[in-house]
Amino acid sequence: MTWHVAEDELRAYARGELAPPLLWSADTHLTGCAVCRARLAEVWDPGALDAAWERLDAELDAPRPGPFERLLVRCGVADHTARLLAATPVLRRSWLTAVALLLVLSVLTAHGVHSDTFFLAVAPLLPLAGVALSYGPALDPTYEMTVVAPVHGFRLLMIRTVAVLAAVLGLSGLATLALPGYGLGALGWLLPALALTAAGLALTPRLGPVVAPSAVGGGWVVLLLAARVHQGGGAGALVPFTAAGQAVAAAVAALAAALLFAARDRFDQSHQTRQTHQSFRSAA
Amino acid sequence: MTTVSAAVTVSASGLTLRYGATRALDDVSLRLGRGVTGLLGPNGAGKTTLLRVLATSVPAASGAFTVLGHDPASAHGRQEVRRALGYLPQTPGFHPDFTPFEFVDYVAILKELTDRAARHREVRRVLDEVGLAEVRGKRIKKLSGGMRQRVALAAALVGDPGFLVLDEPTVGLDPEQRMRFRELIAQAGEGRTVLLSTHQTEDVAMLCHRVLVMAGGRVRFDGTPAELAARAAGRVWRSTARDPGAKAGWRTGTGGYRNVGDPPEGADLLEPTLEDGYLLTLDGDRGDRGDRGDRGDHGDRAEATA
Repeated sequence: MTWHVAEDELRAYARGELAPPLLWSADTHLTGCAVCRARLAEVWDPGALDAAWERLDAELDAPRPGPFERLLVRCGVADHTARLLAATPVLRRSWLTAVALLLVLSVLTAHGVHSDTFFLAVAPLLPLAGVALSYGPALDPTYEMTVVAPVHGFRLLMIRTVAVLAAVLGLSGLATLALPGYGLGALGWLLPALALTAAGLALTPRLGPVVAPSAVGGGWVVLLLAARVHQGGGAGALVPFTAAGQAVAAAVAALAAALLFAARDRFDQSHQTRQTHQSFRSAA
Repeated sequence: MTTVSAAVTVSASGLTLRYGATRALDDVSLRLGRGVTGLLGPNGAGKTTLLRVLATSVPAASGAFTVLGHDPASAHGRQEVRRALGYLPQTPGFHPDFTPFEFVDYVAILKELTDRAARHREVRRVLDEVGLAEVRGKRIKKLSGGMRQRVALAAALVGDPGFLVLDEPTVGLDPEQRMRFRELIAQAGEGRTVLLSTHQTEDVAMLCHRVLVMAGGRVRFDGTPAELAARAAGRVWRSTARDPGAKAGWRTGTGGYRNVGDPPEGADLLEPTLEDGYLLTLDGDRGDRGDRGDRGDHGDRAEATA
Protein backbone atom coordinates (compact mmCIF):
# COMPACT_ATOMS: atom_id res chain seq x y z
CA MET A 1 0.00 0.00 0.00
CA THR A 2 1.60 3.26 -1.13
CA TRP A 3 -0.71 5.68 0.61
CA HIS A 4 -2.95 5.94 3.67
CA VAL A 5 -6.06 7.93 4.46
CA ALA A 6 -5.18 11.33 5.92
CA GLU A 7 -5.86 11.84 9.64
CA ASP A 8 -8.53 14.54 9.20
CA GLU A 9 -10.29 12.49 6.52
CA LEU A 10 -10.22 9.42 8.74
CA ARG A 11 -11.83 11.39 11.58
CA ALA A 12 -14.46 12.78 9.19
CA TYR A 13 -15.10 9.23 7.97
CA ALA A 14 -15.55 8.05 11.56
CA ARG A 15 -18.04 10.86 12.21
CA GLY A 16 -19.92 9.96 9.03
CA GLU A 17 -19.15 13.37 7.58
CA LEU A 18 -16.84 12.41 4.72
CA ALA A 19 -18.48 13.25 1.41
CA PRO A 20 -18.07 11.55 -1.98
CA PRO A 21 -15.75 11.11 -3.85
CA LEU A 22 -13.34 11.04 -0.86
CA LEU A 23 -15.80 8.75 0.90
CA TRP A 24 -15.69 6.19 -1.93
CA SER A 25 -11.94 6.35 -2.02
CA ALA A 26 -11.68 5.86 1.77
CA ASP A 27 -14.20 2.99 1.65
CA THR A 28 -12.21 1.14 -0.99
CA HIS A 29 -8.91 1.79 0.72
CA LEU A 30 -10.11 0.68 4.17
CA THR A 31 -11.24 -2.65 2.72
CA GLY A 32 -7.69 -3.54 1.83
CA CYS A 33 -5.58 -1.63 4.38
CA ALA A 34 -5.26 -3.11 7.88
CA VAL A 35 -3.14 -0.14 9.04
CA CYS A 36 -5.87 2.39 8.26
CA ARG A 37 -8.53 0.12 9.78
CA ALA A 38 -6.50 0.06 13.00
CA ARG A 39 -6.13 3.85 12.91
CA LEU A 40 -9.87 4.13 12.29
CA ALA A 41 -10.57 2.06 15.40
CA GLU A 42 -8.42 4.49 17.42
CA VAL A 43 -10.27 7.62 16.26
CA TRP A 44 -13.71 6.01 16.38
CA ASP A 45 -16.04 7.65 18.91
CA PRO A 46 -18.37 5.05 20.49
CA GLY A 47 -20.84 7.86 21.28
CA ALA A 48 -21.02 8.66 17.59
CA LEU A 49 -21.80 5.02 16.84
CA ASP A 50 -24.63 5.05 19.37
CA ALA A 51 -25.94 8.30 17.90
CA ALA A 52 -25.77 6.82 14.42
CA TRP A 53 -27.72 3.74 15.54
CA GLU A 54 -30.26 5.99 17.23
CA ARG A 55 -30.67 8.04 14.05
CA LEU A 56 -31.08 4.88 12.03
CA ASP A 57 -33.60 3.52 14.52
CA ALA A 58 -35.61 6.76 14.42
CA GLU A 59 -35.62 6.70 10.63
CA LEU A 60 -36.71 3.08 10.40
CA ASP A 61 -39.41 3.63 13.01
CA ALA A 62 -40.93 6.70 11.34
CA PRO A 63 -43.98 5.91 9.23
CA ARG A 64 -43.47 6.39 5.49
CA PRO A 65 -44.74 9.82 4.40
CA GLY A 66 -47.59 10.10 1.90
CA PRO A 67 -47.05 10.33 -1.89
CA PHE A 68 -47.44 14.15 -1.97
CA GLU A 69 -44.72 14.60 0.68
CA ARG A 70 -42.45 12.11 -1.04
CA LEU A 71 -42.88 13.97 -4.32
CA LEU A 72 -41.99 17.29 -2.68
CA VAL A 73 -38.89 15.79 -1.02
CA ARG A 74 -37.84 14.30 -4.38
CA CYS A 75 -38.20 17.77 -5.89
CA GLY A 76 -35.68 19.08 -3.32
CA VAL A 77 -38.06 20.50 -0.71
CA ALA A 78 -36.78 20.04 2.87
CA ASP A 79 -38.67 17.30 4.71
CA HIS A 80 -40.03 19.67 7.37
CA THR A 81 -41.28 22.11 4.72
CA ALA A 82 -42.84 19.21 2.82
CA ARG A 83 -44.78 18.23 5.94
CA LEU A 84 -45.96 21.83 6.45
CA LEU A 85 -47.19 21.82 2.85
CA ALA A 86 -48.86 18.44 3.23
CA ALA A 87 -50.95 20.04 5.98
CA THR A 88 -52.12 22.83 3.67
CA PRO A 89 -55.84 22.19 3.16
CA VAL A 90 -56.09 23.36 -0.46
CA LEU A 91 -53.14 21.33 -1.67
CA ARG A 92 -55.34 18.26 -1.40
CA ARG A 93 -56.25 16.30 -4.49
CA SER A 94 -59.91 17.36 -4.26
CA TRP A 95 -59.08 21.07 -4.48
CA LEU A 96 -56.61 20.67 -7.31
CA THR A 97 -59.11 18.53 -9.20
CA ALA A 98 -61.77 21.22 -8.78
CA VAL A 99 -59.35 23.86 -10.09
CA ALA A 100 -58.44 21.68 -13.07
CA LEU A 101 -62.12 21.05 -13.90
CA LEU A 102 -62.90 24.76 -13.72
CA LEU A 103 -60.01 25.53 -16.03
CA VAL A 104 -61.12 22.84 -18.49
CA LEU A 105 -64.61 24.35 -18.43
CA SER A 106 -63.17 27.82 -19.07
CA VAL A 107 -61.10 26.55 -21.98
CA LEU A 108 -64.11 24.76 -23.51
CA THR A 109 -66.13 27.96 -23.13
CA ALA A 110 -63.34 29.91 -24.86
CA HIS A 111 -63.51 27.47 -27.78
CA GLY A 112 -67.31 27.63 -27.85
CA VAL A 113 -67.61 31.42 -28.00
CA HIS A 114 -64.27 32.05 -29.74
CA SER A 115 -63.18 34.43 -26.97
CA ASP A 116 -60.65 34.13 -24.14
CA THR A 117 -62.46 36.62 -21.92
CA PHE A 118 -64.20 34.10 -19.67
CA PHE A 119 -60.95 32.23 -19.09
CA LEU A 120 -59.06 35.47 -18.45
CA ALA A 121 -61.74 36.54 -15.96
CA VAL A 122 -61.85 33.24 -14.03
CA ALA A 123 -58.14 32.36 -13.90
CA PRO A 124 -57.13 35.26 -11.56
CA LEU A 125 -59.81 34.23 -9.06
CA LEU A 126 -58.38 30.73 -8.59
CA PRO A 127 -55.11 31.63 -6.81
CA LEU A 128 -56.98 34.28 -4.80
CA ALA A 129 -59.40 31.63 -3.55
CA GLY A 130 -56.67 29.01 -3.13
CA VAL A 131 -54.45 31.24 -1.02
CA ALA A 132 -57.43 32.48 1.02
CA LEU A 133 -58.44 28.91 1.76
CA SER A 134 -54.94 27.77 2.67
CA TYR A 135 -54.90 29.49 6.05
CA GLY A 136 -57.29 30.89 8.59
CA PRO A 137 -59.81 29.33 10.95
CA ALA A 138 -62.36 28.48 8.23
CA LEU A 139 -60.46 25.65 6.56
CA ASP A 140 -57.30 24.94 8.54
CA PRO A 141 -58.38 22.53 11.28
CA THR A 142 -55.18 23.14 13.20
CA TYR A 143 -55.41 26.93 12.96
CA GLU A 144 -55.64 27.50 16.70
CA MET A 145 -52.54 25.38 17.37
CA THR A 146 -50.70 26.94 14.45
CA VAL A 147 -51.25 30.52 15.52
CA VAL A 148 -49.61 29.98 18.94
CA ALA A 149 -46.63 28.11 17.50
CA PRO A 150 -43.22 29.79 17.58
CA VAL A 151 -42.94 29.59 13.79
CA HIS A 152 -43.91 33.07 12.62
CA GLY A 153 -47.40 33.12 11.13
CA PHE A 154 -46.27 35.21 8.17
CA ARG A 155 -43.54 32.73 7.30
CA LEU A 156 -46.02 29.88 7.32
CA LEU A 157 -48.42 31.96 5.24
CA MET A 158 -45.72 32.66 2.66
CA ILE A 159 -44.69 29.00 2.45
CA ARG A 160 -48.28 28.02 1.77
CA THR A 161 -48.89 30.96 -0.58
CA VAL A 162 -45.89 30.11 -2.74
CA ALA A 163 -46.96 26.46 -2.91
CA VAL A 164 -50.57 27.28 -3.80
CA LEU A 165 -49.46 29.86 -6.38
CA ALA A 166 -47.04 27.38 -7.93
CA ALA A 167 -49.77 24.72 -8.20
CA VAL A 168 -52.61 26.95 -9.42
CA LEU A 169 -50.53 29.15 -11.73
CA GLY A 170 -48.95 26.01 -13.15
CA LEU A 171 -52.35 24.50 -13.94
CA SER A 172 -53.58 27.79 -15.37
CA GLY A 173 -50.43 28.03 -17.49
CA LEU A 174 -51.08 24.57 -18.89
CA ALA A 175 -54.70 25.51 -19.61
CA THR A 176 -53.47 28.62 -21.45
CA LEU A 177 -51.79 26.35 -23.97
CA ALA A 178 -55.21 24.93 -24.87
CA LEU A 179 -56.81 28.33 -25.55
CA PRO A 180 -57.87 29.09 -29.15
CA GLY A 181 -55.65 32.18 -29.38
CA TYR A 182 -51.93 32.27 -28.65
CA GLY A 183 -49.64 35.20 -27.91
CA LEU A 184 -49.20 37.45 -24.92
CA GLY A 185 -52.91 38.17 -24.76
CA ALA A 186 -53.53 34.63 -23.55
CA LEU A 187 -51.39 35.37 -20.50
CA GLY A 188 -53.49 38.41 -19.57
CA TRP A 189 -54.71 36.58 -16.46
CA LEU A 190 -51.28 36.33 -14.82
CA LEU A 191 -50.72 39.87 -13.54
CA PRO A 192 -54.34 40.27 -12.38
CA ALA A 193 -53.95 36.92 -10.57
CA LEU A 194 -50.91 38.20 -8.69
CA ALA A 195 -52.61 41.53 -8.00
CA LEU A 196 -55.79 39.95 -6.65
CA THR A 197 -53.88 37.45 -4.50
CA ALA A 198 -51.58 40.09 -3.03
CA ALA A 199 -54.48 42.51 -2.46
CA GLY A 200 -56.54 39.79 -0.74
CA LEU A 201 -53.66 39.00 1.60
CA ALA A 202 -52.83 42.66 2.26
CA LEU A 203 -56.42 43.40 3.29
CA THR A 204 -56.73 40.30 5.50
CA PRO A 205 -55.30 41.86 8.69
CA ARG A 206 -57.89 44.63 8.41
CA LEU A 207 -60.95 42.80 7.05
CA GLY A 208 -60.33 39.20 8.10
CA PRO A 209 -59.56 36.06 6.10
CA VAL A 210 -63.08 35.69 4.67
CA VAL A 211 -64.20 39.26 3.92
CA ALA A 212 -60.89 40.42 2.42
CA PRO A 213 -60.60 37.88 -0.44
CA SER A 214 -64.37 37.99 -0.99
CA ALA A 215 -64.26 41.77 -1.35
CA VAL A 216 -61.28 41.61 -3.71
CA GLY A 217 -62.91 38.88 -5.81
CA GLY A 218 -66.17 40.80 -5.91
CA GLY A 219 -64.30 43.96 -6.90
CA TRP A 220 -62.67 42.07 -9.78
CA VAL A 221 -66.04 40.89 -11.10
CA VAL A 222 -67.50 44.41 -10.80
CA LEU A 223 -64.47 45.83 -12.64
CA LEU A 224 -64.89 43.37 -15.50
CA LEU A 225 -68.62 44.09 -15.79
CA ALA A 226 -67.91 47.83 -15.81
CA ALA A 227 -65.25 47.32 -18.50
CA ARG A 228 -67.72 45.29 -20.53
CA VAL A 229 -70.35 48.02 -20.28
CA HIS A 230 -67.77 50.67 -21.15
CA GLN A 231 -66.71 48.69 -24.18
CA GLY A 232 -70.31 48.55 -25.35
CA GLY A 233 -70.14 44.87 -26.28
CA GLY A 234 -67.63 45.47 -29.07
CA ALA A 235 -64.83 43.10 -30.00
CA GLY A 236 -61.32 43.34 -28.57
CA ALA A 237 -59.80 42.85 -25.15
CA LEU A 238 -61.41 44.29 -22.04
CA VAL A 239 -59.47 47.15 -20.44
CA PRO A 240 -57.90 45.01 -17.65
CA PHE A 241 -56.33 42.81 -20.34
CA THR A 242 -54.89 45.66 -22.41
CA ALA A 243 -51.33 46.92 -21.93
CA ALA A 244 -52.58 49.79 -19.73
CA GLY A 245 -54.69 47.41 -17.63
CA GLN A 246 -51.76 45.04 -17.21
CA ALA A 247 -49.57 47.92 -16.04
CA VAL A 248 -52.17 48.85 -13.44
CA ALA A 249 -52.35 45.21 -12.32
CA ALA A 250 -48.58 45.09 -11.93
CA ALA A 251 -48.64 48.31 -9.89
CA VAL A 252 -51.44 46.99 -7.67
CA ALA A 253 -49.54 43.73 -7.15
CA ALA A 254 -46.39 45.61 -6.12
CA LEU A 255 -48.25 48.00 -3.82
CA ALA A 256 -50.24 45.19 -2.19
CA ALA A 257 -47.07 43.14 -1.69
CA ALA A 258 -45.44 46.11 0.05
CA LEU A 259 -48.50 46.63 2.29
CA LEU A 260 -48.57 42.91 3.05
CA PHE A 261 -44.96 42.95 4.11
CA ALA A 262 -45.56 46.00 6.31
CA ALA A 263 -48.45 44.20 8.01
CA ARG A 264 -46.59 40.89 8.44
CA ASP A 265 -46.73 40.95 12.25
CA ARG A 266 -50.52 41.08 12.12
CA PHE A 267 -50.50 37.46 10.92
CA ASP A 268 -48.90 36.43 14.17
CA GLN A 269 -52.14 36.39 16.13
CA SER A 270 -55.55 34.87 15.72
CA HIS A 271 -58.09 36.09 13.19
CA GLN A 272 -60.71 34.37 15.29
CA THR A 273 -61.72 37.41 17.32
CA ARG A 274 -64.98 37.86 15.47
CA GLN A 275 -65.85 34.18 15.74
CA THR A 276 -64.91 34.17 19.39
CA HIS A 277 -67.15 37.16 19.90
CA GLN A 278 -70.08 35.36 18.31
CA SER A 279 -69.55 32.11 20.20
CA PHE A 280 -69.04 34.03 23.42
CA ARG A 281 -72.31 35.89 22.99
CA SER A 282 -74.22 32.75 22.14
CA ALA A 283 -72.74 30.89 25.10
CA ALA A 284 -73.12 33.68 27.64
CA MET B 1 -52.22 15.50 43.00
CA THR B 2 -49.04 16.87 41.46
CA THR B 3 -45.94 18.28 43.06
CA VAL B 4 -46.36 21.96 43.86
CA SER B 5 -43.75 24.68 43.79
CA ALA B 6 -44.23 28.10 45.33
CA ALA B 7 -42.20 29.83 42.59
CA VAL B 8 -44.38 31.98 40.32
CA THR B 9 -44.06 30.91 36.69
CA VAL B 10 -47.06 32.67 35.14
CA SER B 11 -48.15 36.08 36.35
CA ALA B 12 -50.96 38.28 34.98
CA SER B 13 -52.39 41.57 36.13
CA GLY B 14 -55.39 43.57 35.00
CA LEU B 15 -56.17 41.51 31.88
CA THR B 16 -59.20 43.00 30.19
CA LEU B 17 -60.81 42.16 26.88
CA ARG B 18 -64.17 43.25 25.54
CA TYR B 19 -66.16 41.77 22.69
CA GLY B 20 -68.52 44.57 21.81
CA ALA B 21 -70.44 45.38 24.96
CA THR B 22 -69.47 42.11 26.64
CA ARG B 23 -66.52 41.99 29.00
CA ALA B 24 -64.94 38.63 28.26
CA LEU B 25 -62.14 39.41 30.70
CA ASP B 26 -62.60 42.01 33.37
CA ASP B 27 -59.45 42.98 35.23
CA VAL B 28 -58.17 39.43 35.68
CA SER B 29 -55.04 38.99 37.76
CA LEU B 30 -53.45 35.69 38.72
CA ARG B 31 -50.18 34.06 39.69
CA LEU B 32 -49.48 30.43 38.89
CA GLY B 33 -46.74 28.10 40.06
CA ARG B 34 -45.77 24.60 39.00
CA GLY B 35 -48.39 21.89 39.25
CA VAL B 36 -51.95 21.69 37.93
CA THR B 37 -54.25 24.66 38.52
CA GLY B 38 -57.92 24.15 37.71
CA LEU B 39 -60.05 26.79 36.05
CA LEU B 40 -63.75 26.30 36.73
CA GLY B 41 -66.67 28.34 35.50
CA PRO B 42 -69.91 28.18 33.54
CA ASN B 43 -70.11 28.72 29.77
CA GLY B 44 -69.41 32.33 28.91
CA ALA B 45 -67.40 32.87 32.10
CA GLY B 46 -64.33 33.90 30.11
CA LYS B 47 -62.27 30.75 30.67
CA THR B 48 -61.46 30.09 27.03
CA THR B 49 -60.74 33.78 26.42
CA LEU B 50 -58.31 33.79 29.35
CA LEU B 51 -56.58 30.69 28.01
CA ARG B 52 -56.35 32.19 24.52
CA VAL B 53 -54.83 35.37 25.90
CA LEU B 54 -52.29 33.44 28.02
CA ALA B 55 -51.51 31.24 25.00
CA THR B 56 -50.83 34.46 22.98
CA SER B 57 -53.56 33.58 20.50
CA VAL B 58 -55.42 36.83 21.06
CA PRO B 59 -54.03 39.98 22.72
CA ALA B 60 -55.72 41.49 25.77
CA ALA B 61 -56.99 45.06 25.34
CA SER B 62 -55.22 46.03 28.55
CA GLY B 63 -53.19 44.42 31.29
CA ALA B 64 -49.98 42.43 31.14
CA PHE B 65 -48.66 38.97 31.80
CA THR B 66 -45.46 37.00 31.78
CA VAL B 67 -44.80 33.30 31.24
CA LEU B 68 -41.59 31.85 32.67
CA GLY B 69 -40.14 35.36 32.73
CA HIS B 70 -41.06 36.23 29.13
CA ASP B 71 -43.30 39.18 28.34
CA PRO B 72 -45.37 38.62 25.17
CA ALA B 73 -45.87 42.36 24.66
CA SER B 74 -42.91 42.34 22.25
CA ALA B 75 -42.61 40.10 19.19
CA HIS B 76 -39.47 38.50 20.66
CA GLY B 77 -41.12 37.91 24.03
CA ARG B 78 -44.19 36.44 22.35
CA GLN B 79 -42.03 33.99 20.46
CA GLU B 80 -40.26 32.97 23.68
CA VAL B 81 -43.63 32.41 25.38
CA ARG B 82 -44.70 30.25 22.44
CA ARG B 83 -41.51 28.24 22.69
CA ALA B 84 -42.40 27.48 26.30
CA LEU B 85 -46.05 26.74 25.55
CA GLY B 86 -48.06 23.59 25.02
CA TYR B 87 -51.66 24.32 24.03
CA LEU B 88 -54.58 21.96 23.75
CA PRO B 89 -57.51 24.03 22.44
CA GLN B 90 -61.15 23.39 23.27
CA THR B 91 -61.82 21.75 19.91
CA PRO B 92 -58.46 20.53 18.66
CA GLY B 93 -58.47 20.08 14.91
CA PHE B 94 -56.55 17.45 12.99
CA HIS B 95 -55.65 16.81 9.42
CA PRO B 96 -57.69 13.62 9.16
CA ASP B 97 -55.41 11.94 6.64
CA PHE B 98 -52.42 12.31 8.94
CA THR B 99 -51.35 9.58 11.31
CA PRO B 100 -50.67 10.48 14.97
CA PHE B 101 -46.96 10.37 14.15
CA GLU B 102 -47.35 12.72 11.17
CA PHE B 103 -49.60 15.11 13.07
CA VAL B 104 -47.36 15.37 16.14
CA ASP B 105 -44.38 15.64 13.79
CA TYR B 106 -46.17 18.54 12.04
CA VAL B 107 -46.71 20.31 15.37
CA ALA B 108 -43.07 19.63 16.30
CA ILE B 109 -42.00 21.38 13.09
CA LEU B 110 -44.22 24.33 14.02
CA LYS B 111 -42.33 24.31 17.33
CA GLU B 112 -39.08 24.74 15.40
CA LEU B 113 -37.78 21.17 15.76
CA THR B 114 -36.31 20.94 12.29
CA ASP B 115 -33.61 18.29 12.82
CA ARG B 116 -35.31 15.20 11.47
CA ALA B 117 -33.73 12.58 13.73
CA ALA B 118 -34.10 14.62 16.94
CA ARG B 119 -37.66 15.52 16.01
CA HIS B 120 -38.64 11.93 15.34
CA ARG B 121 -37.14 10.89 18.67
CA GLU B 122 -39.21 13.55 20.43
CA VAL B 123 -42.38 12.54 18.58
CA ARG B 124 -41.87 8.92 19.59
CA ARG B 125 -41.26 9.99 23.19
CA VAL B 126 -44.52 11.92 23.52
CA LEU B 127 -46.53 9.27 21.70
CA ASP B 128 -45.12 6.69 24.13
CA GLU B 129 -45.95 9.03 27.02
CA VAL B 130 -49.63 9.25 26.07
CA GLY B 131 -49.84 5.55 25.23
CA LEU B 132 -50.25 5.84 21.47
CA ALA B 133 -47.08 4.09 20.35
CA GLU B 134 -49.06 1.16 18.96
CA VAL B 135 -51.33 3.27 16.74
CA ARG B 136 -48.82 5.89 15.63
CA GLY B 137 -49.10 4.79 11.99
CA LYS B 138 -52.91 4.60 11.87
CA ARG B 139 -54.97 7.40 10.27
CA ILE B 140 -56.35 9.82 12.87
CA LYS B 141 -59.81 9.61 11.33
CA LYS B 142 -59.91 5.94 12.32
CA LEU B 143 -59.11 6.60 15.99
CA SER B 144 -61.64 6.88 18.83
CA GLY B 145 -62.46 10.24 20.43
CA GLY B 146 -60.33 9.43 23.46
CA MET B 147 -57.36 8.51 21.30
CA ARG B 148 -57.72 11.69 19.25
CA GLN B 149 -57.71 13.68 22.46
CA ARG B 150 -54.49 11.91 23.43
CA VAL B 151 -53.02 12.81 20.03
CA ALA B 152 -53.85 16.45 20.81
CA LEU B 153 -52.22 16.11 24.23
CA ALA B 154 -49.12 14.58 22.63
CA ALA B 155 -49.00 17.56 20.26
CA ALA B 156 -49.22 19.91 23.24
CA LEU B 157 -46.44 18.03 25.05
CA VAL B 158 -44.02 17.85 22.14
CA GLY B 159 -40.91 19.94 22.76
CA ASP B 160 -41.32 19.54 26.54
CA PRO B 161 -43.04 22.90 27.19
CA GLY B 162 -42.87 24.51 30.63
CA PHE B 163 -46.40 25.93 30.48
CA LEU B 164 -49.27 23.71 29.45
CA VAL B 165 -52.69 25.20 28.67
CA LEU B 166 -55.51 22.63 28.45
CA ASP B 167 -58.98 23.81 27.46
CA GLU B 168 -61.62 21.31 28.59
CA PRO B 169 -59.63 18.24 27.56
CA THR B 170 -61.97 15.73 29.23
CA VAL B 171 -65.16 16.86 27.48
CA GLY B 172 -66.81 14.07 25.51
CA LEU B 173 -64.72 11.28 27.02
CA ASP B 174 -66.30 8.26 28.65
CA PRO B 175 -65.48 7.65 32.35
CA GLU B 176 -62.66 5.20 31.61
CA GLN B 177 -61.06 7.51 29.05
CA ARG B 178 -61.48 10.41 31.45
CA MET B 179 -59.61 8.55 34.18
CA ARG B 180 -56.83 7.65 31.75
CA PHE B 181 -56.63 11.27 30.63
CA ARG B 182 -56.49 12.49 34.24
CA GLU B 183 -53.50 10.23 34.82
CA LEU B 184 -51.78 11.77 31.81
CA ILE B 185 -52.51 15.32 32.97
CA ALA B 186 -51.22 14.53 36.46
CA GLN B 187 -48.07 13.12 34.89
CA ALA B 188 -47.72 16.19 32.66
CA GLY B 189 -48.07 18.43 35.73
CA GLU B 190 -44.87 17.08 37.26
CA GLY B 191 -42.38 19.93 37.01
CA ARG B 192 -44.60 22.00 34.71
CA THR B 193 -47.17 24.75 35.11
CA VAL B 194 -50.50 23.41 33.89
CA LEU B 195 -53.66 25.50 33.60
CA LEU B 196 -56.63 23.19 33.15
CA SER B 197 -59.99 24.62 32.16
CA THR B 198 -62.83 22.27 32.94
CA HIS B 199 -66.52 21.94 33.75
CA GLN B 200 -65.83 18.86 35.83
CA THR B 201 -65.35 19.53 39.53
CA GLU B 202 -64.09 15.93 39.75
CA ASP B 203 -61.16 16.89 37.50
CA VAL B 204 -60.22 19.62 39.93
CA ALA B 205 -60.70 17.44 43.02
CA MET B 206 -58.47 14.71 41.59
CA LEU B 207 -55.79 16.73 39.84
CA CYS B 208 -55.38 20.25 41.08
CA HIS B 209 -53.53 21.78 43.98
CA ARG B 210 -55.25 25.06 43.28
CA VAL B 211 -58.45 26.24 41.65
CA LEU B 212 -59.70 29.47 40.11
CA VAL B 213 -63.41 30.04 39.60
CA MET B 214 -64.36 32.47 36.86
CA ALA B 215 -67.73 34.03 36.14
CA GLY B 216 -68.68 37.11 34.17
CA GLY B 217 -65.10 37.58 33.01
CA ARG B 218 -63.74 37.89 36.57
CA VAL B 219 -61.94 35.56 38.93
CA ARG B 220 -64.44 34.93 41.72
CA PHE B 221 -62.34 32.50 43.71
CA ASP B 222 -58.66 31.70 43.94
CA GLY B 223 -57.51 29.09 46.45
CA THR B 224 -57.13 25.40 47.13
CA PRO B 225 -59.88 22.89 46.34
CA ALA B 226 -60.27 22.37 50.11
CA GLU B 227 -60.82 26.11 50.58
CA LEU B 228 -63.44 26.14 47.83
CA ALA B 229 -65.25 23.24 49.48
CA ALA B 230 -64.96 24.98 52.86
CA ARG B 231 -66.99 27.90 51.45
CA ALA B 232 -69.98 25.61 51.76
CA ALA B 233 -69.23 24.50 55.33
CA GLY B 234 -72.47 24.63 57.33
CA ARG B 235 -74.44 25.46 54.16
CA VAL B 236 -75.26 22.00 52.86
CA TRP B 237 -78.07 19.99 54.35
CA ARG B 238 -80.28 17.01 53.72
CA SER B 239 -84.06 17.06 53.62
CA THR B 240 -86.83 14.70 52.64
CA ALA B 241 -88.44 17.25 50.31
CA ARG B 242 -87.04 20.10 48.27
CA ASP B 243 -86.30 23.02 50.56
CA PRO B 244 -87.71 26.23 49.06
CA GLY B 245 -85.20 28.27 51.06
CA ALA B 246 -82.19 26.62 49.41
CA LYS B 247 -80.11 28.35 46.72
CA ALA B 248 -79.96 25.02 44.89
CA GLY B 249 -81.21 21.55 45.62
CA TRP B 250 -81.39 18.22 43.92
CA ARG B 251 -82.67 14.74 44.57
CA THR B 252 -79.93 12.25 45.42
CA GLY B 253 -79.70 8.58 44.64
CA THR B 254 -81.08 7.68 48.07
CA GLY B 255 -84.31 9.60 47.42
CA GLY B 256 -83.65 12.55 49.75
CA TYR B 257 -82.71 16.08 48.75
CA ARG B 258 -79.32 17.70 49.04
CA ASN B 259 -79.67 21.46 49.53
CA VAL B 260 -77.12 24.22 49.29
CA GLY B 261 -77.66 27.71 50.69
CA ASP B 262 -78.65 29.09 54.05
CA PRO B 263 -79.94 26.13 56.08
CA PRO B 264 -82.99 26.36 58.31
CA GLU B 265 -82.62 25.96 62.06
CA GLY B 266 -81.87 22.37 63.08
CA ALA B 267 -81.10 21.24 59.51
CA ASP B 268 -79.33 17.91 59.00
CA LEU B 269 -76.00 19.33 57.85
CA LEU B 270 -73.78 17.43 55.42
CA GLU B 271 -70.07 17.49 54.69
CA PRO B 272 -69.56 20.03 51.87
CA THR B 273 -67.89 19.05 48.60
CA LEU B 274 -65.96 21.04 46.06
CA GLU B 275 -69.08 21.17 43.93
CA ASP B 276 -71.11 22.72 46.76
CA GLY B 277 -68.50 25.45 47.20
CA TYR B 278 -68.45 26.00 43.43
CA LEU B 279 -72.25 26.31 43.24
CA LEU B 280 -72.32 28.81 46.09
CA THR B 281 -69.52 30.84 44.49
CA LEU B 282 -71.46 30.97 41.22
CA ASP B 283 -74.67 31.77 43.03
CA GLY B 284 -72.98 34.80 44.58
CA ASP B 285 -71.91 35.85 41.10
CA ARG B 286 -75.41 35.42 39.71
CA GLY B 287 -76.67 37.54 42.56
CA ASP B 288 -74.15 40.22 41.56
CA ARG B 289 -75.11 40.09 37.89
CA GLY B 290 -78.77 39.30 38.25
CA ASP B 291 -78.76 36.55 35.65
CA ARG B 292 -78.91 32.78 35.77
CA GLY B 293 -76.31 30.93 33.79
CA ASP B 294 -75.28 27.37 33.32
CA ARG B 295 -74.43 25.33 36.42
CA GLY B 296 -71.49 23.60 34.88
CA ASP B 297 -71.32 19.84 35.10
CA HIS B 298 -74.43 19.58 37.22
CA GLY B 299 -76.62 22.02 35.43
CA ASP B 300 -78.85 19.16 34.33
CA ARG B 301 -79.81 18.09 37.80
CA ALA B 302 -79.42 21.12 40.04
CA GLU B 303 -82.59 23.09 40.54
CA ALA B 304 -82.41 26.76 41.45
CA THR B 305 -84.90 27.33 44.19
CA ALA B 306 -83.93 30.81 45.28
